[in-house]
Amino acid sequence: MGTSISSWENVGAYFTFADNPLALGLFTLGAAAIIVGLIASIAKHENEAFEKIEKK
Amino acid sequence: MVETPTLESLQATLAAQQSVFEMHQAMNVEVFYWWCTAIMIMIHAGFLAYEMGASRSKNALAAGIKNILALAVIIPTFYLFGWWIYNAFPNGFIPIEASGALPWAASMGPDVTDMGTGIFWAAFAMFGATTGSILSGAVIERIRVSAFLILTVFLGSVVWILAGAWGWHPDGWLLTELGYHDVGASGVVHAIAGFFTLGVLINLGPRTGKFINGVAQTISPHSLPMTLIGLMMIIFGFFGFLGGCIIFNGGETGWTTIYNNPTNLSAFAFNTLMGFAGGVIGCYIASRDPFWTMSGGLVGIISVAAGLDLYDPELAFIIAVVTGVLAVKVAKIIENLGIDDAVGAVAVHGFTGVWAVILVGVFAGGMPNVGDLPPITFTGQLIGAAVMLALGFIPGYALSWVLKKCNALRVPKEAEELGLDEVEIIAKPYPEANGVPAVSESDVPNKLANL
Repeated sequence: MGTSISSWENVGAYFTFADNPLALGLFTLGAAAIIVGLIASIAKHENEAFEKIEKK
Repeated sequence: MVETPTLESLQATLAAQQSVFEMHQAMNVEVFYWWCTAIMIMIHAGFLAYEMGASRSKNALAAGIKNILALAVIIPTFYLFGWWIYNAFPNGFIPIEASGALPWAASMGPDVTDMGTGIFWAAFAMFGATTGSILSGAVIERIRVSAFLILTVFLGSVVWILAGAWGWHPDGWLLTELGYHDVGASGVVHAIAGFFTLGVLINLGPRTGKFINGVAQTISPHSLPMTLIGLMMIIFGFFGFLGGCIIFNGGETGWTTIYNNPTNLSAFAFNTLMGFAGGVIGCYIASRDPFWTMSGGLVGIISVAAGLDLYDPELAFIIAVVTGVLAVKVAKIIENLGIDDAVGAVAVHGFTGVWAVILVGVFAGGMPNVGDLPPITFTGQLIGAAVMLALGFIPGYALSWVLKKCNALRVPKEAEELGLDEVEIIAKPYPEANGVPAVSESDVPNKLANL
């Protein structure tokens, strides 16, 4: 569904969704969200791990 | 009967040959930077071994996973905004048009007509990851991984590449206004990362037990041999790094520096190896310590990297020896100030990087740049070095200060004493050594099933 070309003649950017700025924008947001989510999840894991020590 | 070629047919053949030649030349450029990037991965393998070895065994895996994650977050963030920063900010803080470097641009993905962007992006992303690794080693055993990743993204995908835009971009203001010369990234990578690290270390504070009544104590690495091997792997990776600092041009131009003046890999080879040797000798003379002797290889290369294309190899050797001695002294001064830099990153990268930029002004002042660009001058290099120092230190200090105020920078004292592997990591580096059997009976297939 992401095909951006129909032939290899005179082709330039041919990656998936290359002709769909909206999709590329959404992928950008998705990639950024993953990084933010990763760091947030690590912070949560750390907080939980540190709380366990305090309870011991 | 053989047909006599016509002028038109000869021209057509020549054009076809020219086309083949140009395509192969473009492919050679890609191949060169592809392998530079691959070799640069060895820098990170080296930093991984170096940091894990430098940690106590109770923190070995936490140090390792922090380093691996740094690489994993810098690559996508450098794609999302780092490459755009490089292309948009050569003039300072006001961006210029650089929409082709935004993550949704056609050139930021597979494109038959673009055989340059991806490969240069990759090399630059690895430079950024190197800055993250420089920070990573210094802060081992007490920084929160989440805080470290925020800091490393800021360093590896924002701060260093802004310095790159100023001092490495063909239109960077340090070059166009001051004739700044920093071919091997002593300033834009090492000084930036080293002084960013210093800013973080001030807010982070020393490891518990590092200073007793103000006297610095030795916290021994749990595996000095692993650390030494890691350092040598970084030296190997440096050949990819420095290869990535030279421009492989098409056409008749041949090799140039990033500042467009002619050079070649032979020039780089002379001075990289002479710098390495000099740095090892200098640090050995100053310390007699295995860790510092091997770190001297880094010091030596960084000390000559800014002028790698310009120095007489014997001068490069002498510079590296002297800088090696000085770097050990600087590390002692930093420690005496109560700053706990676990791997000497501020001295090895920060001090040496700034020093290297200044030395280009001392020894190569007056060298011309190409075209209308101003020549290299001592003043220009001095200003450039000061810019690198400030651009590294201020963001590192400011962001870590904010994290500290949010109580998000450092692990609790209890966790530090127990060891971060025990508290945060689901595996143990040396289970038998800690009385934990390597194989234990379990109702579940393995430990991951409990996650």
